[in-house]
Amino acid sequence: MTQKKKHYFVGIDAGSRTTKAVLLDDEGNLVSAIRPTGINVGATAEEVFGDVLGQVDATPRDVKYLVGTGYGRVSLEFADTTVTELSCHALGANFINPEIRMVIDIGGQDSKVIQLDENGSMVDFIMNDKCAAGTGKFLEMVARKLETDLENLSDIHFESEQPCAINSMCVVFVETEIISLLARGESAANIVSGVNWAFANRIGNMARRLGIKEQYVLTGGVAKNRGLKDALNQYLGVPFAPLGIDPQINGALGAAVLALRSS
Amino acid sequence: MATVTETIQEVHNDFALTLEMAKDEGKKVVGCLCSYSPTELILAAGAIPVGLCGSTQEPITKAEEILSPDQCPKVKATYGRAIAGTCPIFPLADCVIAETTCDGRKKMYELLEREVPMCVMDLPQKPDTSAALDHWIEEVRKAKTYLEQQLGVTITDDNLREAIAKGNRRRKLITNLYYCRIHNPGPINGLEFINTMTKLQYYIDIDNHLETLEQFYSSLQEQIDKKVHAHSANQPRILWTGLGNSLGCSKVLELVEECGGVVVCQEGCGGVTRSEDQIILMEDEDPIVSIAKRYLRVTCACMTPNNQRFDDLTRLCDEFKIDGVIDLAWQFCQPFEIESYRVKELVKDTLDLPFLHIVTDYSQSDTEQLRIRVEGFMEQIATRKRHDRRN
Repeated sequence: MTQKKKHYFVGIDAGSRTTKAVLLDDEGNLVSAIRPTGINVGATAEEVFGDVLGQVDATPRDVKYLVGTGYGRVSLEFADTTVTELSCHALGANFINPEIRMVIDIGGQDSKVIQLDENGSMVDFIMNDKCAAGTGKFLEMVARKLETDLENLSDIHFESEQPCAINSMCVVFVETEIISLLARGESAANIVSGVNWAFANRIGNMARRLGIKEQYVLTGGVAKNRGLKDALNQYLGVPFAPLGIDPQINGALGAAVLALRSS
Repeated sequence: MATVTETIQEVHNDFALTLEMAKDEGKKVVGCLCSYSPTELILAAGAIPVGLCGSTQEPITKAEEILSPDQCPKVKATYGRAIAGTCPIFPLADCVIAETTCDGRKKMYELLEREVPMCVMDLPQKPDTSAALDHWIEEVRKAKTYLEQQLGVTITDDNLREAIAKGNRRRKLITNLYYCRIHNPGPINGLEFINTMTKLQYYIDIDNHLETLEQFYSSLQEQIDKKVHAHSANQPRILWTGLGNSLGCSKVLELVEECGGVVVCQEGCGGVTRSEDQIILMEDEDPIVSIAKRYLRVTCACMTPNNQRFDDLTRLCDEFKIDGVIDLAWQFCQPFEIESYRVKELVKDTLDLPFLHIVTDYSQSDTEQLRIRVEGFMEQIATRKRHDRRN
C-alpha cells in the first residue's frame, strides 16, 4: 500500500462464525481482517472495519462505498448496500481469476455451490438444508469430540491407514457414531479421515447436482482443512484452482469488488 | 383491497361461528383433506364442504405426542388440528372424506378415524390406466353411499348434476381470478391473493360463495381497467409450484415478496391447475363417472407418472411470462421431493429459467437461512434480466 491519498472500497462479510472485512484501493490492492462474530454482529462488523482502515491508515470518510454481505448483513447499518454472499463469492472468485466458473463455499453454518459467468455474475446456486451437516460447525463438533482442534484435524487426516465408514452427517448423530467408533478402538486418524470422506461425498454430490463447471475453487473457513480438501478433490476428480488468498475472505472480497463496481 | 392483517386463526374463528349457526339450522358439515375430495358429492348431499388440511405450526407439537417428528408438517398439522382441541372448525365436521394419497396421510388417517367418522377413498396412483378409472369410479360411488348413510339423505342424479354445474362455475371463477395476475404489472400480489383465497375457500352457502368470488373478480378487473397496480412491471415474476400455497404456511412466499419478487402464478397444491380442470358433464353419462374422471386427473406428486404437471408448468411459464420458478416441498414429503428433480430438469434445461428448490417445514426456525436463498435467487434473476436486455 502506498501512502498517497486514495479511494477505498470495503466489503464486510458478517458470517455466522466469523466476520471478515476486505478493503480494496482503486489499484486493486487489498487488505483484510477476520474476527469471531460473537453475539453482537453490528459491533464486530465495526471492529473489522476499523481493523482494515487501520492497516492503511485511513478513516471511514476515505471509503467511497461499503457493501455488506453474509448472514448478518442486515445488521450492518453503515453499509451503502447489502447483497447475499452467493453473489459476493462469485464476484470474489472472478476478481481473483476470471476463468473460474464455480465456487464451493463451506462456511460455519451452511455450504453452497455457486456457478458464475465471465463477468462474475452468479448464474445458479445450491445450498445445503437447514442443519449443520456439511458445515464448519460439524467439523468443530468432531474436533471437540476427539479432543483436538481444527488445525490438527486437518493434519491427522493424512495419518489414516483405513478411513472409517461414517454414515451420519448430522452433528447430533455423528457424535454418537464417533463414540461407538472410539469404543471399538478406532484411531482418531481413521475417524477424522472417515469424517472428511463422508463430508466430501456430501458436498461433492451437492456440486454434482448443480453440475461441475471448471475451473472451480474451494472457499470458506473449511477450505483450510487440507484433509477435507484432498478428499473432495479425489471425490470430484478435478483439482481446485489455486485461490491465492485466504479462502475465508472470498465473500468479503466479492463485496469489496461490488463496492468498487458500484461507486 | 385490504392488506393482509387477518391471521389464519382469526379466519378459522370467524368461520366457525357462522358454521355453528348453520349447524343449528340443521345443516351438515363434511370435512375434506385434499384436492382429490369430490366436493360435488357433498354439495349434492346438501351439506357444507370444509377444508380441514392443517396449514399451521401450532397443532404440530400436540401431534408429535403420537406421530414421529419425522413426518411431513402437513400430516402432523392435519392430525394435530383434530386432537389438539385448538381448531374451532374440526369438531363441527359430521364426517370426513379423505383419500389414500401419500403414505404419511393414509397411515395418519388410521388414527384420525378415531376422532371423526371417515370415508377413506382408495385412490389409484397410476391414473392413466383404464383399471384405475374403473376402480376410482367405484370409490366415488362408495363415497356417495357413505354420505347418504352418514347424513341421512338421498343423492339423486339431478342433485349431482346441479352440484357439478355449481362446482364448475366455482372452478371457472377461481381460474379467472388466477388469470387476473397474467397482467404485468398486476392488480394483486401473491401473498394478498392467497390470503383472500384462503378466506374465500370457507363458505356456508355455495350460491353466496359464487357471488363473493364474482365480486372479488370484479374488484380485480376494475383495478386492471383503472391501471391500479400492486407491483411494478420489473419485479421478478415468480411461478410457485409444489406446496406452501395457503395462509399459515406461507412463510417462503412472504419472503419472496419481501425480497422484491412477486408470485404471479401458483401451480400445485391449491394452485391454478386445481381449478382450471372442469368436470365434463355429458347428457348420457352417469354423473358419478364424470366426477370420478375429473378428480383422477388432479396432478399431485403421489401419482406416477405425473406427466400432466410438466405440461401445465410449461404452459403456465409461458402464459404468465415467468422469470423464475420456485418449487417447495415440505420436509419428509417424498413424492414432491423426488419429483422436484424432474421439475428442475424441465425448468432449467428445457425452459431455461432460473429454478429454486426449497425444503422446509411450517416453523419459523430457518427464516434467515431461507432469506439468503430467496434473496440470492432474486439476484440471479436480476442478473439474467440484465443479460437478456443486453442481447
